[in-house]
Amino acid sequence: MTAALTLEGLGKRYGDFEAVRDLSFQVERGSICGFLGPNGAGKTSTLRMILGLQPASSGRIDILGAPDGRLVRDRIGFLPEERGLYKKMTPVEAIAFFGSLKGLPAHEGRKRARELLEQQGLGDSQRKKMKELSKGMAQKVQLIAAVVHRPEFVILDEPFSGLDPMNQQGLEQMIRGLAADGATVLFSTHVMQHAERLCDKVVLLARGRKAFEGSVEAAKATSPRFLELEGAITAEAAAALPGVAGVEPLSEDGEARRLKIALSPGAGGQETLKAAFLGGLDVRGFALKEPTLHDAFINLTGDRPDQPAPQSALATETAQ
Amino acid sequence: MKRILLIARREYVAYAKTVGFWLSLLALPFFAVVGGGIPLLIRSSEPVRAVALVEEGPQASGLAAAVRTALQTDNDDARERAAKMEKNQPGAGRAVASLAAPRLRLVPAPAGIVDNPAGPARDEALRQALDRRADKAQRLDAVVFLSRQDGKPQARVWTGRAGDDEVADFVRDALRDSYREETLGAAGVPPAVVADVESFRPEITAFSPSAASGGEVSLRDRLPTFIGLGAGFILWSLIITGASILMNSVMEEKANRILEILLSSASATEILAGKVLGVALLTLTVLAVWGGIGAFGLVSAAPGAAVDVGRALLHDGMIFYFVAYMVGGYLMYAVLFAAIGAFCETPRDAQTLMGPIMMVLIIPLLVLQMALRTPDAVVVKVLSWIPLFTPFLMSARAPADPPVIEIVLTLAGMFATAALMIWIAGRAFRAGALSDVKLNWKSFGRAITGRA
Repeated sequence: MTAALTLEGLGKRYGDFEAVRDLSFQVERGSICGFLGPNGAGKTSTLRMILGLQPASSGRIDILGAPDGRLVRDRIGFLPEERGLYKKMTPVEAIAFFGSLKGLPAHEGRKRARELLEQQGLGDSQRKKMKELSKGMAQKVQLIAAVVHRPEFVILDEPFSGLDPMNQQGLEQMIRGLAADGATVLFSTHVMQHAERLCDKVVLLARGRKAFEGSVEAAKATSPRFLELEGAITAEAAAALPGVAGVEPLSEDGEARRLKIALSPGAGGQETLKAAFLGGLDVRGFALKEPTLHDAFINLTGDRPDQPAPQSALATETAQ
Repeated sequence: MKRILLIARREYVAYAKTVGFWLSLLALPFFAVVGGGIPLLIRSSEPVRAVALVEEGPQASGLAAAVRTALQTDNDDARERAAKMEKNQPGAGRAVASLAAPRLRLVPAPAGIVDNPAGPARDEALRQALDRRADKAQRLDAVVFLSRQDGKPQARVWTGRAGDDEVADFVRDALRDSYREETLGAAGVPPAVVADVESFRPEITAFSPSAASGGEVSLRDRLPTFIGLGAGFILWSLIITGASILMNSVMEEKANRILEILLSSASATEILAGKVLGVALLTLTVLAVWGGIGAFGLVSAAPGAAVDVGRALLHDGMIFYFVAYMVGGYLMYAVLFAAIGAFCETPRDAQTLMGPIMMVLIIPLLVLQMALRTPDAVVVKVLSWIPLFTPFLMSARAPADPPVIEIVLTLAGMFATAALMIWIAGRAFRAGALSDVKLNWKSFGRAITGRA
């Protein structure tokens, strides 16, 4: 696979503040890459440098073979974090206008706009003004406007923010569709579930520096497995079990407690459970949980993403 | 280039499609017509006041006749002027007659006022005659008591409406003329001489070697001066309107987060150029509509004057000055306002910079009035060299044939400044479009110097 995007030692300074430091990573052609990081990590600055909207203070960019996003802007689609379209335009007019700026002939832009609006369930809204659309609808229109010219590289800055679950699901399908059509997608997000479901690769940014680059599985592997125990067990007793790296109380109801036990690297959890039972601890329930991307995010960045942690688990067992 | 045209087209259509644009576009000609017609309308809709004259005592004898004669004379004059005007401009005679003639008619005084001596009974009769609730046919608008004090005519004017001075003013003029005639007559001056002196209006004819005839100055010679002044005001209005539209458009796009999307599709220079071009086309539309309506009105109302205006615009190079100063002036102000707009999301944000700029922009407006009388005054000359004022003041000075070197150098200075402004505004626009920094002179300066 060849790289659609390569960053080498990228840096951005605003006066004395260093927003991005020595950032290097690659995004392969046709892949979906999640660009993750807490607020202020430098994600938007990086995306703007990739697009050529802001000059880099240091480092090198190679996007679609060009050293500057501005040189290949017609081959890039971009959805910024804070979104807006001309309120008095209809969706078809707005999409066709932005398509024409990217070199798409006006008549083809309008035709594509109608097709894509139909696909996204907005066929009935074609003649409405943008100001009459709901936020979710407007966001879909904007995404369509960003990709109407069939870009090779799509950059989406926080595309899921402000969308309800139904629209989030629709957007996920759109992103998958773009990649299936051969486009490379780079998107930033705080919502780890989306990244976990969509991405071939994630890049984690913390305080302007790269904290991780690799597959979702590799990211999760950087975080320990967890054992959740329920029963009249104290945190001290749990901490004394073998293979335990840390204990976090989750809830407490009289003597009954729920504890989240982080396992040491390499520990499978079986030894710990066995020791708990053999040690006579009052275990009324347990669940062995694989780390999620959310856990990996916290582990790698030392920060919590804005969204709540996912509840799904890859492996769960419950004692009766 | 294609992107510039696309952005310009969108900018133009976005405004030209709105009803508000066309309403505001037509508002000026509409109010110009209405504004010109309103005094005529007010005057012609004024009622013709019914006025009774009462001479108090034998000393006042002859004063009523003097007032009556004055009214007759004024009405005759108005009719004569109307007839003359009607010959030159058919339809205008009636308007002149209604503007010039006094809105009075003399009626006999009721018996209760004439027969009763001054006192409660006459006062009661007066109140009844002037009562505004009374039958219109019987009602008086004013009663004038004419008398003499130490031989000099005087009057007490009773009116139905306390604020109505029309009758008092007319009677004052009539009594003054009558007294002058009496006094001069008593001094031995024959009445015919007095009448001749009073009606004498010296005929003044202006001459100038620069007049088209080489001697006598005609309205045609003065026309370029008026056109120059008008051009200065129109330029000021169009440029500031256009630049303000541009600033609001950029502010709206910044507030709606469209600028960032645009910047990912086109360069800052292309966006700025497209917007400047789009609003320039809007401004030209305004100019074309105003010019078209003005030309139509002028050709319809005064074909002779229309030919003179056309000749002055085409043959004296006025149109060249107008176009050149419009292009330069628009560029200077449009890019500056656009750059300010790129830093702002609301008009309140823009006030920080716009306040001082608007104060500076008032200066040419004040000086323009001076340029009408003395286009070569030192202050007008000096200020016209300041590039920001050049478009307005040189347009006004152009009819006075300033030296070619001044025209060339001021044009060069204006276009050099416009180029500098484009460079500065381009930097500020790019920095401001993606910036959340609060606008002030410091942040604007940092953007221009590339430190933002």
